[in-house]
Amino acid sequence: MSYKLVEIELSEPLATISLSPQQNGVGVVARWRGRLIGFEMIELPAGSAVTVERLNSLADERFARRILVAKLEEELRKRQPVKEAVLPSLSIAICTKDRAQRLSRLLGSLDRVRTEPTFRSVEIIVVDNASVDATTRDAVAGFRDVRYVFEPKAGLDFARNAALHAAKADIIAYLDDDVVVDRNWLEGLAKACGDNPGAGGFTGLVLPFRLDTEAQILFERRGGFGRGFARREFHNARFENPLHPVGSGVLGAGCNMAFDRALLIELGGFDEALDTGAPLPGGGDLDIFYRVLRSGRPMIYEPEYAVYHEHRETIPQLRRQYWTWGLGMMAFLVKSYRTDDEMRARHRAMVRWWFFDQFKALARAASRLRGDEMRFGLAELCGGIYGLVGEYDRSRARIQAIRERNP
Amino acid sequence: MTAAGFDVRHIDLAAADGDTRGGRALSIFWWKDLPLGMRASLHDELPYGTPQLRQLAAEYAAEQLEARSIRLGAPLRATYEGWPKPALSLAAALEAENLVDSLEEFATVSSASAQDISVVICTRDRGPALADCLFSVAGQRSAPGEVVVVDNSRDGNAKAVCGQFPDVRYVHEPRAGLSVARNAGIKAARGEIVAFTDDDVELHPSWTAEIARAFADRNVEALTGLVLPARLDTAAQCCFQFAMGGFGTTFVPLTFERRFFEETRPSGAHVWKIGAGANMAFRRSLFERIGLFDERLGAGAAGCSEDSELWYRLLATGGACLYEPRAVVFHHHRSDWPGLRRQIRAYMKGHVAALVAQYDNFGDRGNIVRICKQLPVYFLTTFVKALFEGPPGRLGILATEVQGWLAGLQFLLRFGWRKRRTPMLIPPPVAEGVAR
Repeated sequence: MSYKLVEIELSEPLATISLSPQQNGVGVVARWRGRLIGFEMIELPAGSAVTVERLNSLADERFARRILVAKLEEELRKRQPVKEAVLPSLSIAICTKDRAQRLSRLLGSLDRVRTEPTFRSVEIIVVDNASVDATTRDAVAGFRDVRYVFEPKAGLDFARNAALHAAKADIIAYLDDDVVVDRNWLEGLAKACGDNPGAGGFTGLVLPFRLDTEAQILFERRGGFGRGFARREFHNARFENPLHPVGSGVLGAGCNMAFDRALLIELGGFDEALDTGAPLPGGGDLDIFYRVLRSGRPMIYEPEYAVYHEHRETIPQLRRQYWTWGLGMMAFLVKSYRTDDEMRARHRAMVRWWFFDQFKALARAASRLRGDEMRFGLAELCGGIYGLVGEYDRSRARIQAIRERNP
Repeated sequence: MTAAGFDVRHIDLAAADGDTRGGRALSIFWWKDLPLGMRASLHDELPYGTPQLRQLAAEYAAEQLEARSIRLGAPLRATYEGWPKPALSLAAALEAENLVDSLEEFATVSSASAQDISVVICTRDRGPALADCLFSVAGQRSAPGEVVVVDNSRDGNAKAVCGQFPDVRYVHEPRAGLSVARNAGIKAARGEIVAFTDDDVELHPSWTAEIARAFADRNVEALTGLVLPARLDTAAQCCFQFAMGGFGTTFVPLTFERRFFEETRPSGAHVWKIGAGANMAFRRSLFERIGLFDERLGAGAAGCSEDSELWYRLLATGGACLYEPRAVVFHHHRSDWPGLRRQIRAYMKGHVAALVAQYDNFGDRGNIVRICKQLPVYFLTTFVKALFEGPPGRLGILATEVQGWLAGLQFLLRFGWRKRRTPMLIPPPVAEGVAR
């Protein structure tokens, strides 16, 4: 199982997409005048082709409306008087561990977007999170204007906090090392910052980098990291969801997020007991989104601020990812329950809702005899149970030990 | 405003300056006189910033243009859910230019003459509300040909209120029942178009002009319009608007026709999605074709749904109804819980009664499927959802709905009731074309 990932430009005539004999589907990233408009996946017989008619009807159904919206947005923007705002400065922080090749790929994609003067200044910081050898350092040396910081305490949130303090700019944008940025990434972030000067943070669209394996396709089909192609605004409360902001996963994903750096320092940075690498690789993004919203500052989801994420390659890896989602979610909920008294009723309700939702998904998968779906659902459910019974405390003990080893 | 309430506020997105008000609110968005959409927000989400208003304007405007611009695929028909079926193509979207200008065109106020329209308002023991309603009728941009108030009270207590308005014709109909009153109104009315509204409603100043324009532009026999909440001061009003969906939330024009009828027919033709009796209009010739309101239905009789039963006959016999949200009224929802419960019970009871009546008239089994299968399934899923996800109070309302449903079941069994058919029922040949 393998899908061809193609990019189409809707303002130009469409062309047939032909598949190789190994490919049995396509993932279509659609742009209109360079702007990201939509993403769709189509399953096809191996070695066949997507005809122009098929593409056109897909575009009619899925992309045409967003073109209208984009055109209207541009027209409405022109009608409004332009306020000359002071451009903020930007620090891009990449936390990485033993993945020099992927890091080079990401730095290469950043090099291509850095040409535009969108921010007052742009610096790139690579935080080497206790890599075992010097390949990461060597990879960074191959790019100009990239700062290298070594963080000996293993754990993603140690690295993120190290970046936070090493950075100098107003806005800090975090990227994971398994992503590549879109060509409008920097512009998209600049637009979001310029339009929303009071925002505490920004999240962006995450598209698949490739769809070569069954696991990658399944992950994307089950929702992936995608949060849609419309801008969204999040506050401390939300009419549509009485549990908000506790379900902060709707905001986006930790592999592509940015914050007002001063606010993050004021909030005390990331919780180092979450996102600790192998034992508890999640929850840190949920926690920081939640705390930013609770501080009263809004967060903005901006689809033009987009990255491509390399999803897990194999089914066991993917199952483990779902396990960690359950684990991270519950560790985050336990932590928030202890630290944020005002929201306790919502935390309890969220735990109830989460288990109810997991069981519902499992029942749906079972009734359709979908083995993979059931295994993923079970993994997430077990992760959730394990997370609920003391994972946060276990993780705190682990990071305490790491701190003692690295005074 | 009580702690439970929402402020209802109107925001014109064509005006450049943003909204600065905080508090909890249901914001209704307009482009000048064109209603675009609504959105409820809590204190923390307000005020809306400029980028958010621009985004809302772009998204709402795109919906309007799709549904109104012929080049973009308009007019749209209603799908199974009662939503617009999009007809936009990539080529049309790429070609479209100067979209804000076209939006401005659709937002132009109607100047059509409403001289052919008879406005019929049925009332019963609600003097002060009726006075507000009649004030809003008097404030119409295009004065209607006539205004008929049908007083359904026993002692004719609305006469004094009507006396304050010189152009209002007063008709007293002491036989109880909204259908009876509406039929009396139709018989008294002289206009080519009969437009109905209720005594707990206030009209938008362009209501009659918009109805006149819609009937002039489109060859349809019936029309419904947008019913917005006038106030959301109490928890009961908010529950009706948010948990029960109010009187609909569609802001784009839609045509309900044969295909909608056929698509939804296996589960009883979802004619209640067409609109609300508080804002509907008909060509007079329609009543000659398919008869008047069924007098066994409606408030004061079986409950309600006399309006949707008439739409059922309209669609079943090949007619079409246009939903045009430019015709706007503001409805005062019941403000107390007992009132809301009574209303919900009457809705459900009347709904079942109407399904029985429709089954009797056309022999369509979908109506029975709706009563015996769809509604119980709806009760069950709502119960599970309300149990886990809320909102609080939903379970109580659900119990009332079930009560209404049980009360409605009697109409299935009442043989004498079922034998009585609608007056002036359609001749068999037309019905044959519908029944399989």
